[in-house]
Amino acid sequence: MTQTEHTHHHAAHGHAPSPTGLRRLTAPGWLRATWMTIVFAALGIGIVAFFRWLGGYEPILEWNVVATVAFMTTAPIGFLAGLGSFDYWLYYISGRPTRPEDHSSHGAHSWRDYFRINTDHKVIGVQYLVTVFVFFVLGGLAAMLFRAELAQPDLQFVDGQAYNGLISMHAALMIFLFIIPAFAGLANFAVPLMLGATDMAFPRLNALSFWLLPIAGIMLVASFAAPGGAFASGWTAYPPLSTEQPMGQIFFNMGVQWAGASSIMTALNFLVTIITMRAPGMTFWRMPLLVWANFTTSLLVVIATPFIAASQFFVLFDRIMHTNFFTVGEGGYVLAYQHIFWFYSHPAVYIMMLPGFGIISEVIAVFSRKPVFGYRLMALSLMAILILGFSVWAHHMFVAGMAPWLRVPMMVTSMIIAVPTGVKVFSWLATMWEGRLHFRTPMLFALGFLSMFVIGGLSGIFLASVPIDVHASDTYFVVAHIHYVLFGGSVFTIFAGIYYWFPKMTGRMYSEGLGKLHFWLTFIGFNGTFFPMHWVGLQGMPRRVADYAAEFGSWNMVMTIFSFLLGISTVVFFYNVIVSWSRGRIAESNPWRALTLEWQVSSPPPVFNFDAIPQVVGGPYEYGVPGARHAVLNAGAAAEAREEEAVR
Amino acid sequence: MRRGSIVRMVIYGVLAGTVASLIAVLIPWLPPSASEQMDRIEFTFWFTTVICIGIFAIVAAIITYCVLKFRAAPDDERDGPPVHGHTGLEIVWTAVPAVLVTAISVVSAIVLAKNDDAGDNPLRVGVTAQQFAWAFDYPNEDGEPLRSGELVLPVNRPVKLTLHAQDVIHSFWVPEFGQKSDAVPGIETTLAITPTKVGSFSVVCTELCGLGHATMRAAVTVVNEQDYQAFLERLAAGPAAEPGQGGDTGEEIFTATGCGSCHAFEPAGTDAQVGPPLDDLAGAAENAGLDLEAFIHESIVDPEKRLAEGFQGDVMPKTYDRSLTDEQLDALVQYLVEGQRG
Repeated sequence: MTQTEHTHHHAAHGHAPSPTGLRRLTAPGWLRATWMTIVFAALGIGIVAFFRWLGGYEPILEWNVVATVAFMTTAPIGFLAGLGSFDYWLYYISGRPTRPEDHSSHGAHSWRDYFRINTDHKVIGVQYLVTVFVFFVLGGLAAMLFRAELAQPDLQFVDGQAYNGLISMHAALMIFLFIIPAFAGLANFAVPLMLGATDMAFPRLNALSFWLLPIAGIMLVASFAAPGGAFASGWTAYPPLSTEQPMGQIFFNMGVQWAGASSIMTALNFLVTIITMRAPGMTFWRMPLLVWANFTTSLLVVIATPFIAASQFFVLFDRIMHTNFFTVGEGGYVLAYQHIFWFYSHPAVYIMMLPGFGIISEVIAVFSRKPVFGYRLMALSLMAILILGFSVWAHHMFVAGMAPWLRVPMMVTSMIIAVPTGVKVFSWLATMWEGRLHFRTPMLFALGFLSMFVIGGLSGIFLASVPIDVHASDTYFVVAHIHYVLFGGSVFTIFAGIYYWFPKMTGRMYSEGLGKLHFWLTFIGFNGTFFPMHWVGLQGMPRRVADYAAEFGSWNMVMTIFSFLLGISTVVFFYNVIVSWSRGRIAESNPWRALTLEWQVSSPPPVFNFDAIPQVVGGPYEYGVPGARHAVLNAGAAAEAREEEAVR
Repeated sequence: MRRGSIVRMVIYGVLAGTVASLIAVLIPWLPPSASEQMDRIEFTFWFTTVICIGIFAIVAAIITYCVLKFRAAPDDERDGPPVHGHTGLEIVWTAVPAVLVTAISVVSAIVLAKNDDAGDNPLRVGVTAQQFAWAFDYPNEDGEPLRSGELVLPVNRPVKLTLHAQDVIHSFWVPEFGQKSDAVPGIETTLAITPTKVGSFSVVCTELCGLGHATMRAAVTVVNEQDYQAFLERLAAGPAAEPGQGGDTGEEIFTATGCGSCHAFEPAGTDAQVGPPLDDLAGAAENAGLDLEAFIHESIVDPEKRLAEGFQGDVMPKTYDRSLTDEQLDALVQYLVEGQRG
């Protein structure tokens, strides 16, 4: 492992002087991004028009094709190029001088630095988190709108198509623009620091993968403006419904490509960073579990994400190129979509779960003042979930009409995956056992996660059992289950992580009182909204319906009321974050007395994280072990420790 | 571990288990069973529930105990004991859950095999799903199957349903029967049901199939053998339309064709809002410059020609001039004309 120390002149860290005159139009930034977006969109329209004219197709401007090519392919590329995502690479390719030692795109000196191509993993982490919470609010508002509709039987506010648009948008935003990238943001900030690295392995790729995300999000949300309304065939977008939907469906097909590309690039970056950029002494068995979690998650992302990309391209091609992947009678086979889709989308559940497991391991160890119980088994169970996760996809298809023999094997693997998950839960409990528990906000969310996730895991056992699933699938029981897993699970861990690293990210403390208020409102609102869904589902209420049998009216009213409480709880969160970020108490470097490396540097950390490359000398969770150290940071002492390790 | 802590843990565990058991027992989780398959599903459900309550009680007891017992004062800077693991415990909590989920798998697999089996000589009924209506085809020795808009089944006789979809994926579910299967365009799926209770139920579509998904329902009636034979006779007596919908009075055609899945029409007692309501069409007919009868006829056979304000096209099938005979179409138009308000 070699890492060069910074020997260049530090004056180079400043920003390049602002360009003037005509140079402003050609310098990377929002101005260039604006005109390049327009030019590239025009170029896309031109390409479509030219080839359709050449082939003699009518009409010349087919809006499905124009939207796909110009608005959702070339225009975003123009935007990225204008912002400066490709500048370095293009300079390099064309043999013009690059500026390897100019760190002008590192660090953030004002809020403006968050709105440009920034290659600092800490800035990118914050960019991710702020962006995903914008889409969290939009996805949440969609949910509150359809919960208002569901408060009473019959239709009150929206019609069937608009309702289907809202539920599809809610799921798509929460999955692709909130949970998955929120973890990418937290890991972006924490992983390089935890490894003792100065940054990610590919900082420019890192910047690019962030900027793909708002493109994907805007694309999904923009579908509300498409003729016929937003995509409305659910986030699962099963054909032939999805191939027959109005144009909004294309926005989903393409939005998923951009979000998926972002995901894959980030995952590759994490893999290379974790494999090659660990500080001396940071062996795999000394890595914090958050790093382990992101290692396994990244493997899942890299292997699985191309499958959802393919599934959406098939739907898109059937629509605009008249291919027949899913056209019955033309050789199409509609179940093929579901197999391909779930081959990504089941592992995606673990993509949305494993990083949260990592966060919970950090939080529970630190706030229990004890080593993580069974550290190695915790890491190995992540690997077991990774491998098993690829063998359970068809449990989403028990009633889909697939090959009947596949059901029992898929049931068995789905059941077995409960075992490594159970190992993790029991190990967290054992970590708390006889510890000294401090119930700060991150710990409350960790405990909330633990109890809610156990309920979600147990309802998962019911759904893995084929005969029960035959009754319960596609009902509100499933809606309850996924929310106990993805809200009680993933979202609680995201909040735990945000409160945990808030002092490190912002250099300020959040308000503990408001944090606790946020937790309790969320916890109550969450259970009030989602627990009754188990019951109405099993009793006979199918999912994804705008209207339902009158007998479920009163429970739905209860759920709607609690869902609004859930909405209010996020207002407390945003108030706390915004006020604390600007005026909160200055945070010490290590307010939680944690051992992992990110807490050994200032809050917020210096631009290049460490003054000298740290020497790792022990495990990350040696709480209560007399004289134990995880790493040595001081340059001289680190060199000494390095020699000591070499002798051993 | 001290003995006192074990006693307290057990108390918390029993408390949590009791609360969970009360929630499990006092709330009627599953609808009252009306089929042999649902009886077995209920058994599997309770078998799993017992195991899950046990696990939940253990986890809840440990969390409660830790929260109450191990809380540290804010200024307490001491660490806990540096325990890194315990191989025995780790083996136990890997092996025991593995055994439990294996047991659930075995029970589930046996139940599944039984629930799939409709026996040697089941009653065969075809189910055809389309946006947003169900149709049921009964075998007919004399030729074309007999079509009904309502599913009528004899009690205590195994039925094998064969499902087809004409447009997008739908899913057939009768909550009281427990059984569910998607109806998929291009492939045939089957479902075994043995109804055990005489009564009325409804088919619920559980796969998102478009804007009228929520109202895609059909009536199911389970009757005794005698009533079933009477039903078949009635069905056979009606003109078996080509390729079509059953019944001959306007009302029967309205029901069998599934008009009520999308349209509100007071005489038929439907209140769906997918398409425009049909109770007061005089104004629309006047706007179109047609007399009421001609307007209704045109709207059925060519729904795209004049779209009602606030409703989108490409939803209502454009095939009724083929799927209904001229007599049926006239009867349906008459039924709608007579049912107009005022």
